[in-house]
Amino acid sequence: MSCEQSLITQSYLDGELRDEQAQAAERHLENCLACQEQAANTADLSDALRKLARYPAPELLRHKLTKQLDLETRRSPAGIFWMGAASGGGFSALAAGFALFLLLPPSAATLSQSVVEAHTAALTGGKTIMVASSNHHTVKPWLAAHAGISPPVVDFADQGFALTGGRTDEVAGRRAAVAVYAHGKHEVDLFTWPDRGAALPEPGMARGFRTAFWKAGDLDYAAVSDMDAAAFQKFVALAKTRRE
Amino acid sequence: MDDRRQRFEAQALPHLDAAYNLARWLSRSPADADDIVQDAMLRAFRAFDGFRGGDIKAWLLTIVRNCWLSAGKATKRRGHTPLDDQELVAEGDPEHSAIQQGTRRRLDALVAALPEEFREVLILREMEDMSYREIAEITGTPIGTVMSRLARARALLRETAKDCL
Repeated sequence: MSCEQSLITQSYLDGELRDEQAQAAERHLENCLACQEQAANTADLSDALRKLARYPAPELLRHKLTKQLDLETRRSPAGIFWMGAASGGGFSALAAGFALFLLLPPSAATLSQSVVEAHTAALTGGKTIMVASSNHHTVKPWLAAHAGISPPVVDFADQGFALTGGRTDEVAGRRAAVAVYAHGKHEVDLFTWPDRGAALPEPGMARGFRTAFWKAGDLDYAAVSDMDAAAFQKFVALAKTRRE
Repeated sequence: MDDRRQRFEAQALPHLDAAYNLARWLSRSPADADDIVQDAMLRAFRAFDGFRGGDIKAWLLTIVRNCWLSAGKATKRRGHTPLDDQELVAEGDPEHSAIQQGTRRRLDALVAALPEEFREVLILREMEDMSYREIAEITGTPIGTVMSRLARARALLRETAKDCL
């Protein structure tokens, strides 16, 4: 049994009607058995669905999302800057102020914090490697094309540090090239960015990661890893004296 | 934390359950729902500057539905994964919980078995409290179609779920 007004009744029951339309639907409902039955059925169904069947977002998903937003947030300032510069907006007062800010060399503390943050964000986001290759002839041109920096890239597999790939990242708001090495289950990130005359931090430890910084030519370097001290020093020594 | 991130977290994240629920019902798989929602929330965050007022929940659910559609084109859809115990939210009186869970499983399977176009309007209306106009926007269909699909969805479910109600 169905009434030709059933869609109007449904709209009324779903709270879609106002004023005269609602009053008209109400009057109809008072006198129509089919629509009364429909109203009872809709209410039962609605109750059952509302009580029983909503899936909440899993905690793990919330957690993953926060990490992803961290990555997005961290990348956005430089992205906005480069977009502005590329579109000619670099001449606007705002972008010029921003550019000046970026041209000032970052402090040693900022640099330490920035490389460790980049390293941990890459680890937790599972995105340490954008180009996977143990061949420096693959990694070097990829970094040159994507980071605009062409650091020497050497595989130290024979010495226990195998080149596994590379990625682009940011250090203190500036684009950096990262060569990624594996030492057993540990990972070492070797960051490289154009020198801006910044004073580099002393070797240190932050959030469980060792860091070492040095300059070579017109580039700054930073190594970051959770390896033990001896292995880390060995890696830094190798990286400082590398020859392609 | 930057201002955009704060606004996004304050306005969009409260609707994460709604986003997940819709993705879960559309895809009928927890793993796919996870991927769809991650994709959708990231797209929403990137597009957030372009969001100019209006109903943010409807905006997010539209993105979720679009992500589901594009995920469906990329991969062959999996079958329905029924509720597992972890997903069941414990509620109510323990004496009745076994009965409730049995009923819930059956109702779950019946809703999941509805054809997509009926399933989505029913979820949006009954679980997410969306108005006809919002459902029309989210699904990209005229309001008249939303109304007739909703009526059909209810009739179909009432027929199959008689003993669950």
